[in-house]
Amino acid sequence: MARLHRPKTSTKVAIVALAAAASLLLAGCAGAATAATGKSAVLKWGFSLPTSWDPVTSSTGNDINTISLVYASLTKLNPEGKAEPGLATSWKYNKSGDAVTFTLRPGLTFSDGTALDANAVKESLLRGQTQTNSLLKDQLSTIKSIAVVDKTHVTLNLVQPDYQVPNLLAGKTGAIVSPKAFATSKSTAGIPTNPDGAGPFKFKSFVPESNAVLVKNDNYWDAKDVHIDELDLSVAPDPSTVIAAVQTGSLDVASLPATEIAAAKAAGLKVDVVNSLTVSQVDVNSTLAPLTNAKVVEALKYAVDREQLLKVANAGVGSVTYQPFPKGYIAYNPSLDTEYAYDPTKARALLAAAGIKPGTLTITITAQAYSQATAELVQSQLKKVGVDAKIALVPVGSSTWQQSVYLARTAQFALDGTVGRESPVQNLGVVYGPTGLMNTSRSASPDFLAALDKVRETPLDSPDYASVLQSAVKLGVLQASSFSLYSTPRIDVRSPKVSALPHYLSQFRWEGVTVKQ
Amino acid sequence: MTALARPVALPSRSRVRVSRTLRGIALWVIRTIAIVVPVFLFATFVTYLLGAASGLSPAGLKLGDAATTADVARVNAQLGLDQPLIVRYGTWLGQILHGNLGTSWFNDLPVAPQLFERLGISVSIAGYALIIGVVFGFALGLLAAVRRGTWVDRVITAFATLISTLPPFVVAIVLIIVFCITLRWLPSGGYVSPTVNVGEWLTLITLPAIALSLDTVADLARQLRTGLVAAYDDHYVTGAIVRGFSRRRVLFVHVLRNGAGPALSVLGLRAPALIGGAVVTESIFGMEGFGRFGSESALRGDVPVVQGVLVVAIVLVLVFNLVVNALLARLLPASRRGI
Amino acid sequence: MFRRAIRSPLGATSAAIIAVVVVLSVLGPLIAPYDPLAQDAAHILASPSAAHWLGTDYVGRDVLSRLLDGSPLSLLSAAEAVGIAFALGVTPGLLSVYLGRVFEWISLRVIDALITLPFLVFAIAMTALLGNGLQQAMFAVGILIAPAFYRVTRAAALSAAGSQYVEAARLAGASPLWVLRTHLWGKVAPSVAVTTANSMAAGLVIVSSLTFLGIGVQPPAPTWGGILADDLGYLFQQPFGPLYPTIIIMVIVGALNGFADALRDTSGITGHVRLLGRRRSRPRRSAAINPALEVTNG
Repeated sequence: MARLHRPKTSTKVAIVALAAAASLLLAGCAGAATAATGKSAVLKWGFSLPTSWDPVTSSTGNDINTISLVYASLTKLNPEGKAEPGLATSWKYNKSGDAVTFTLRPGLTFSDGTALDANAVKESLLRGQTQTNSLLKDQLSTIKSIAVVDKTHVTLNLVQPDYQVPNLLAGKTGAIVSPKAFATSKSTAGIPTNPDGAGPFKFKSFVPESNAVLVKNDNYWDAKDVHIDELDLSVAPDPSTVIAAVQTGSLDVASLPATEIAAAKAAGLKVDVVNSLTVSQVDVNSTLAPLTNAKVVEALKYAVDREQLLKVANAGVGSVTYQPFPKGYIAYNPSLDTEYAYDPTKARALLAAAGIKPGTLTITITAQAYSQATAELVQSQLKKVGVDAKIALVPVGSSTWQQSVYLARTAQFALDGTVGRESPVQNLGVVYGPTGLMNTSRSASPDFLAALDKVRETPLDSPDYASVLQSAVKLGVLQASSFSLYSTPRIDVRSPKVSALPHYLSQFRWEGVTVKQ
Repeated sequence: MTALARPVALPSRSRVRVSRTLRGIALWVIRTIAIVVPVFLFATFVTYLLGAASGLSPAGLKLGDAATTADVARVNAQLGLDQPLIVRYGTWLGQILHGNLGTSWFNDLPVAPQLFERLGISVSIAGYALIIGVVFGFALGLLAAVRRGTWVDRVITAFATLISTLPPFVVAIVLIIVFCITLRWLPSGGYVSPTVNVGEWLTLITLPAIALSLDTVADLARQLRTGLVAAYDDHYVTGAIVRGFSRRRVLFVHVLRNGAGPALSVLGLRAPALIGGAVVTESIFGMEGFGRFGSESALRGDVPVVQGVLVVAIVLVLVFNLVVNALLARLLPASRRGI
Repeated sequence: MFRRAIRSPLGATSAAIIAVVVVLSVLGPLIAPYDPLAQDAAHILASPSAAHWLGTDYVGRDVLSRLLDGSPLSLLSAAEAVGIAFALGVTPGLLSVYLGRVFEWISLRVIDALITLPFLVFAIAMTALLGNGLQQAMFAVGILIAPAFYRVTRAAALSAAGSQYVEAARLAGASPLWVLRTHLWGKVAPSVAVTTANSMAAGLVIVSSLTFLGIGVQPPAPTWGGILADDLGYLFQQPFGPLYPTIIIMVIVGALNGFADALRDTSGITGHVRLLGRRRSRPRRSAAINPALEVTNG
């Protein structure tokens, strides 16, 4: 019955409703045109937030990129990784090399307005040594005592001659925190979310695990080189939408997977490929069977085809290395260039020598979700030498990585990587040292440790420095169960309105970067 | 309801009606409470159980590498984790009812403020999505029903069917490709609070809201069409048409009133998806919303945050459904018996 | 009831598609042209060619072979979730009509509570907190789908239980079990079948969403959702990559939903459900509603 009618008026009602709905959406689009930004230079950076804004409790090496936004360190590495003046204009070792005196710039202040003088430096470093949950204790253990000479001079007395200290203090270890932040409140609970430093930027607002808005700190010692008025730091979006985010102005700068370089350029964006200290590594835990057999571990080192990993999973960007440093860096030892070159025949022979028949050995590859391609490639490479591997993927942002790889150390074969450290000795400690986070076996040969001490005792300008350092590297590589894969540059995509990022080897820095509005 | 505002001097017959209405409302309220309270208790218990069953404890996170069994036991005792489950649930529920959602195991900050900071984002997207869903869903469903059997109806039905077969992340990425990369109309991510810049806020939440709303649009359109078409076939509608009522009157007074119930119910069922479920949308559009916070915290093993997210979502869903049911009760007096 | 559904054009088409997919998933591993795990580093992200009909993926594996090989696992995992939901939903749904008011009230509140939980967040939380694996994910999804089964079973059982022939049988002294077997199951089965088809469809979509978020994945074993999520990461290098798994998921989900519609239309299922719901189902001829899943985007 009702079907005989074609109720025109009701159709109209529905059409009006549709039109109203459409105008709702148009309102959104109109917003796009009217959304105006101020005249100040604002840069939106999609990266990651530090595990803590407190350098003392921050737990990963990557945090230096964000910690250094709000804190200045005593020294600063130049683009090549050499220590240069930071908060301190100069430093001088005593003859025996077991004490170093830093000269601070005069009239420095923290973002909370208090003075940054020799006493503040002493208090800040002491906190790193003594706070119960400090993760800097190990690095700072080289300092025996701290003496304030006068307002601008502070002397660090060391437990042994150690010429690495100026490098060490360029990073989180030397990031100076306002003593007011930990003296006024009884606890230090405020620092991880509300830092007071003397860095290029200071906090405007912060939402934990989400984003931070930072504004330029005019009292930063190098404020004249900072041309960004506001830096909006947020957690990078899903990698598949990074390019879109920069294209549409949601972000101005973001990290980019090597495989996306061509697409980003095609989209009219700028791509910076900057040399870095990042080296991919497999953390092999030799305390877990069957990796307790040294021959098995050695076989694994020969079984991985690093060229293929680099080519397929990393678009060929980077270079193969068998040591935890990239080619061209002072610690890089060329004699290791062919040390564990891909040799499946040798790998099979080593496994046979260990008494293992093909197909009887099973291990688990632990990898972060973004390394899935690498993990699958490695799995198939291991298959070729007769090792069956399962893959355990850890979702992005999961604490499982820290918990099971670094702390509980239950991962046999973890696809990991170091972003490098300010001091090569520190980096060797992280990857091979007896307490090193990435040394999941937690063992180190006495020879290697002695060689490390020798590096510490060698002045950086000594003609022997490079060779002493490189021989320590070689000892470290040969005794470790973990092994390096390849070094990769730091790749970021940026909007054309942002000028090229400076090429610092060790971290992101924003001095000299300009934003056209 | 309007009767309540009238002066006291009422004819006795309407006074009876008022008191009957009041009693009806009171009954409705009591029945509602009798249902909502146990549902809340059970849902929160499941939430609590989930955290307890995970076997995770802050001791591992707090003590780190050097933890001994004795240390773990000491921390667990400090936190009351050595007590029976039901006692712990009671304590936890007591805190929740006082607005205390505990402290994150991950960053040691109170959970509640962190949640409410993000709730703004999620409520923005979900609210916007709900508006789009209701407006487009009703418009399309209505159009399909009044034009039933024509190509308009078939196109709308086909669209609704297509949408419901697509995984939500594919929808989101297609939207980004079309609106952000190809047309360059809208940004692909980020969030600005409406208190800072209303225009920018609208721009930023538009695409995520569309992505989130498509399912609702499709569902609502389908349900409304089915309901209305069925209502059109009912005898009383035929009767109304025969009696010569205008088409508009037939649609709004007879058909819509009786045919929209199912669609409204669907709206109630949609709420959990809209409020807590924008995880995929939020992660693709780079928005640090409520759902994403919950799922990321789950991955971090941060049990108090996960529980907090679920509890807040449960409360929101319950409130939303109460509103929908109240609407239904007004629209279809018969359904008042149900709740 | 299936015979009648298959006679309708929608039912026939849907059933044919489902049958083809099931056959392919049984034969898939046999007819796949390549080893689905065999990598070819020299030909990564290749476009379709005579050698690789659907091209290759990011480590040079044949996409067609992976899709074929992935079909049993994709279907089985969704079926597993639906199986759990079936077990947890149907029995209490039937019992709620017979075991008296206390059980009815409690079971209704439990189901309401489960519906109240935000779907995807809860599934993620459950999977992540109880160990990140496909099994955990399926279990979580199963529990969350269970209310749909409970509600349709209950609604159908209620309407049948009120009918005169059931009353007559009861008066004649038939045991509840006999009534259930002879009279009720025939009434409940179509609704349950519809929900099963809809839930399978929803299960596939939900599993692919979880996979996209990195939950419950175990590479390199391929699943449709997994392939889709992986390929989206290479969207800019190989824009067609994500298209194939998307189409497969859309087609099978569409076919399952279509079959559910055909089943419903031909078996005259009525009644609708809502949250915090009614105590007595009020079957309405006018409201033929899909009471199943409204949770796909959760």
